Amino acid sequence: MRLRRPRSGSEGVVRFTRGLADLGYSLPNRPWLVVAWKELTEALRDRRTIINAVLLPMILMPIAVGLPMLFLSPKTSPPRIAIVPADPGALPLVERITSEVPGNFTIRTPEFNATDAILKGLVDLVVVIPEGFSANISQGGSARVIYLYDPYQLKSSTAMGLVQGVVDEYSKEIVSERLRSLNLSEEFVEPIRAVSYQVTATGAAATAESMFGVMLLPMMVGVLAITGASSFALDMVAGERERKTIEALLTAPVRRISILAGKYVALTVLAAVMGVSTIASVVLSVGVMAVAVPVEELVPPQAAQAAERAGIGLASLSKIFPQGTSPTVILLGIGAAMLLAALTGNAIVVMGASFAKSFKEAQQYVGAITGIMVLPMIAVPYAPARLLGPMRFLPITSVAMLARDLIVNPGDVAALTTSGLASVVYLVAFLLASAKLFGRESVVFD
Amino acid sequence: MPALEVLRLTKRFGDFTAVDGVTFQVEEGEIFGFLGPNGAGKTTTLRMIYGVLTPTAGEVLVRGKSVREDPEGAKAHLGVMPEDAGIYSRLTTEENLVYFGKLRGIPEGELRGRIPQLLARLGLTEKRYVLADKLSKGMKRKLSFARAILHEPDILLLDEPTSGVDVMSAREIRSMISDYASGGRTVVISTHNMWEVQQLCTRVGIINRGRLIYVGSVEELERLTGEEEFEEVFVRLIRGEVAE
Repeated sequence: MRLRRPRSGSEGVVRFTRGLADLGYSLPNRPWLVVAWKELTEALRDRRTIINAVLLPMILMPIAVGLPMLFLSPKTSPPRIAIVPADPGALPLVERITSEVPGNFTIRTPEFNATDAILKGLVDLVVVIPEGFSANISQGGSARVIYLYDPYQLKSSTAMGLVQGVVDEYSKEIVSERLRSLNLSEEFVEPIRAVSYQVTATGAAATAESMFGVMLLPMMVGVLAITGASSFALDMVAGERERKTIEALLTAPVRRISILAGKYVALTVLAAVMGVSTIASVVLSVGVMAVAVPVEELVPPQAAQAAERAGIGLASLSKIFPQGTSPTVILLGIGAAMLLAALTGNAIVVMGASFAKSFKEAQQYVGAITGIMVLPMIAVPYAPARLLGPMRFLPITSVAMLARDLIVNPGDVAALTTSGLASVVYLVAFLLASAKLFGRESVVFD
Repeated sequence: MPALEVLRLTKRFGDFTAVDGVTFQVEEGEIFGFLGPNGAGKTTTLRMIYGVLTPTAGEVLVRGKSVREDPEGAKAHLGVMPEDAGIYSRLTTEENLVYFGKLRGIPEGELRGRIPQLLARLGLTEKRYVLADKLSKGMKRKLSFARAILHEPDILLLDEPTSGVDVMSAREIRSMISDYASGGRTVVISTHNMWEVQQLCTRVGIINRGRLIYVGSVEELERLTGEEEFEEVFVRLIRGEVAE
């Protein structure tokens, strides 16, 4: 009889993480370090870690931002534009549109059923130049250009904006010509000209990217504070109780604060991974934006011109930060703020979860806490300037303000110290409170 | 000095008194059976002994060290197998032991030697690199036992060590408990298995409704009740049917 070799050894993910046991053996006997090793080993074995910490931020965000951009960008996906020049004299305008607007053009006769073509999605835009167009212009009158577009299709509206830009330019040239023939200056038809100057703390002009950064990064820091590695934090506290491992753990001759410290170290590592992948996702998204769409094309033509005057160019990653500042220093600062935020969020989650007798109950508590914390977080990017000061002193918003100050106000030491110090004080308070609550016997052994 | 001294130990949860002034001591080398019906206060008493529950009143001394005043010092002498195995399912069998070995401060060299030996003794060698999630209930109990004796503690506290374990594994665990005590170490065992008590225990304490009602050797309690089967002894003591 042939004996089958007994199946021994590891399976699945364990096969690739066998070295973790060796790492465990060789660790110094510091309880916090050992707990951190165990928590990270468990997290690594959980598919949700890879999905939540790396894949979702790294893939979903660039896809969520990039795909629509790629689809909407005339550069990568030119709109289909039908032109119906009922007036043969409008040829110069038609040539101008077809040469300056990126698009796939077809020239149609006046019999063309434009409505049908748009509703069936055969074209994105129909430009009709009616009979008498050139005659009206040459007689000093006003001629019409008709756009037929689908208001529910962004690509259709975008195409209209692009054509409108060229037509407006063409129209201005005609106005200039008329004014010249009458010996009048251009100021005659533009009695008031708006001139705007940016007022920023650094004195440097804001870029579209820095405005994007100011809006997005503090909010992301805040969101990280709220959610952090919260699923891991929940698992490390409520999960330990649910799986009834906490009792065995508490029999070890180790202080509870050391156990909790190890868990926080692991959470910090996980939050750092999430933070790096989140920042990378923003950089990737901005990169996708820069490749796919020049910033000017995302904003109405008038705004694009104003932006050009103010010095806004194409998207470039370095422009996220104000001129004259060091992106490396600011990125490191934002990284530190993110870790601070994640630890704060996790400490709050641990506190909330410490009151729960089951994982489900913990999720409900944490859900409620998250709901309460979200409100001030949303307020940070939209808050009026007079509220920004007080927000540096409040829990959670202080961390978001720290990130905001790092981008908007990197030279304002007082503001940075206030928001940084407040964040640290709240973090310490939450950590101490969570240490007091962790492993409460009335919850663990009830 | 007794290995373990439990002095007027009391635990109240609100108005409910789970453990009421329990006092006993266990000498070195003894296997002490801690018995009682469900809800009698066995697990609560054990939890106070191994320091995860704080007594409302009373004191526990482990080799003279107060669990209340020096919990880490007292716990260092204890090996505990709680009622729930408490095995980390996303760690392998080996990693579960590495974790607790390191928390107990066992040096790397010793740990690398002890873990394979223990796994071999308990028939878990083939499961060394397997996630604990894949282990049967009996294997988890054996792993929990291995974890309790990994650091070779002076005193072993076992809460229903053979509950839910198959006959072969239960026999193996009993044999290891016996060997462990024969080396001069102390074992406190809580169990519902009266045959096991008869086989293993040198002395027995019986708790009912939070009060310790009898302490004595198996033979003494048999004489007290006039019964030979220990299950009958237990039932009569709980019912208070003692011919004195």
